[in-house]
Amino acid sequence: MRRVAVIGVGVTKFGLHDRTSAELFAEAAQDALTDAAIPATAIQALYYGNVVGGETEHQLHTGPQAASVLGIPSVPTTRFETACASSHAAFRHAVMEIAAGVSDVVLVGGAERVLNVSTAESTEYFAYASDAVWEQPLGLTFPGVFALIARAHMEKYGTTEAQMAAVAVKNHRHGALNPKAQFQKQITIDQVLRSAYVADPLKLFDCCPFSDGGAALVLASEEVARRHRKPVWVLGSAAASDWMLLGDKRDLSRVPATERAAAAAYRQSGLGPRDVDVVELHDCFTIAEIVATEGLGLFEPGAGGRAAEAGRTSLGGEIPVNPSGGLKAKGHPIGATGAAQIAEIVTQIRGEAGPRQVDGAKTGLTHTLGGNTATVLVSLFGRD
Amino acid sequence: MTESPITARAFFERVRAGQLTALKCGSCGELAIPPRQLCPACHTQAWQPLDLRGEGTIASFTIIRVAPRAHAGDAPYALAVVKLREGVSILGRLVDIPLDKVGVGLPVRFRPLVIGNQATVGFGPSSAA
Ligand SMILES: [Zn+2]
Repeated sequence: MRRVAVIGVGVTKFGLHDRTSAELFAEAAQDALTDAAIPATAIQALYYGNVVGGETEHQLHTGPQAASVLGIPSVPTTRFETACASSHAAFRHAVMEIAAGVSDVVLVGGAERVLNVSTAESTEYFAYASDAVWEQPLGLTFPGVFALIARAHMEKYGTTEAQMAAVAVKNHRHGALNPKAQFQKQITIDQVLRSAYVADPLKLFDCCPFSDGGAALVLASEEVARRHRKPVWVLGSAAASDWMLLGDKRDLSRVPATERAAAAAYRQSGLGPRDVDVVELHDCFTIAEIVATEGLGLFEPGAGGRAAEAGRTSLGGEIPVNPSGGLKAKGHPIGATGAAQIAEIVTQIRGEAGPRQVDGAKTGLTHTLGGNTATVLVSLFGRD
Repeated sequence: MTESPITARAFFERVRAGQLTALKCGSCGELAIPPRQLCPACHTQAWQPLDLRGEGTIASFTIIRVAPRAHAGDAPYALAVVKLREGVSILGRLVDIPLDKVGVGLPVRFRPLVIGNQATVGFGPSSAA
């Protein structure tokens, strides 16, 4: 298999936009092409993530739609849908296409638009990622899924609402350093703890926002990447799945798909959790970050809440997590999230992250979770 | 054999009639909530329907305060993953249990619940409680 590098990244500002998701993707893609110093004619395929376009924009067939709006209508394109992990799944398949020798330059991206519909509507559409016959008719929501995980984690390990709040405070502190972030203001533990319950024990400030935004990456084979500045190498990329129904998951305090995907990605790269300098992981809810830091092997099961509270995952801590602000502060346009996390890690490894730079970051990890924890992707990155 | 012996439609018809039904693997004894084509433990298809007693305890719960549109009138309401005595678990809506009395480990009993003309899984107070 051939080595694959990321040679260009582009991300729109996340938040409210009055443009279609295809337009948001196209802006990010042009930035990624400029960053890669490569012409659009070099692109041989587009792998694209978009989740609720059918609901919020009445738009299916979003792959060729995105390619047309960018201005590369003739490249083969496929839209991936693995809920919130969609563009990370698109990324993994693009890596395989280049590694297999099928293409030399592939564009990966994703975009989402949801702020053009009401919160009640988007709450309903996001719930479509849970089972339509068994769980949706009960009134299960996305925060509800993670509230069930949070309660199980609290019960088993004594994790507290204050420890979860520490994750939100930390990610807002990081987001305040990121000009592309939806929220660029700091918050306090008290603000989180006093915010209204959405799905007990999760409160409004435990939840990431609804966001519009786009992200794009230019991937290249080693031969092409060697001609470009600062290629960042893909050292491993793995996906794992788990049961759809919450009742079928054996232990709600854990996410087995994270553990399986991480094990595979570590094996591919020959690295372990101690070798990682910076992490972008899926903090759709504060408890999701705590459980992910455990599943990725950064901390022992049950130790993630205390680690967050002690500042071990802050910029300047022993393993900085979500220097971009994470989904919580940077925002979560679900189709774009995986690609945006990778863009942040590439920027960190290049040493170009400005005030949120993790000193000396050489190796980074991205983790993206889909919906009800039934999909997880983990990738590892490094430099020469 | 082409379909799970208990389809989704059959499962919820039984729910409406007051019966929770699982599948038991005739080869290895694995239990599953239907529909399931192959046994995930031994990968054969030897399922037999098994009537569940409907008794279990709360493994985890949440109180939904911001609900999807179709359920907004019901909020706040509690959802729980209930571990049934036979060993399988299932998500259900809690009914007739005060929200401040809901807790992990609380014994509950299955009851059919119709939400918007759709039969769903409900759990009420255990008869023992
Ligand atoms: Zn079996």
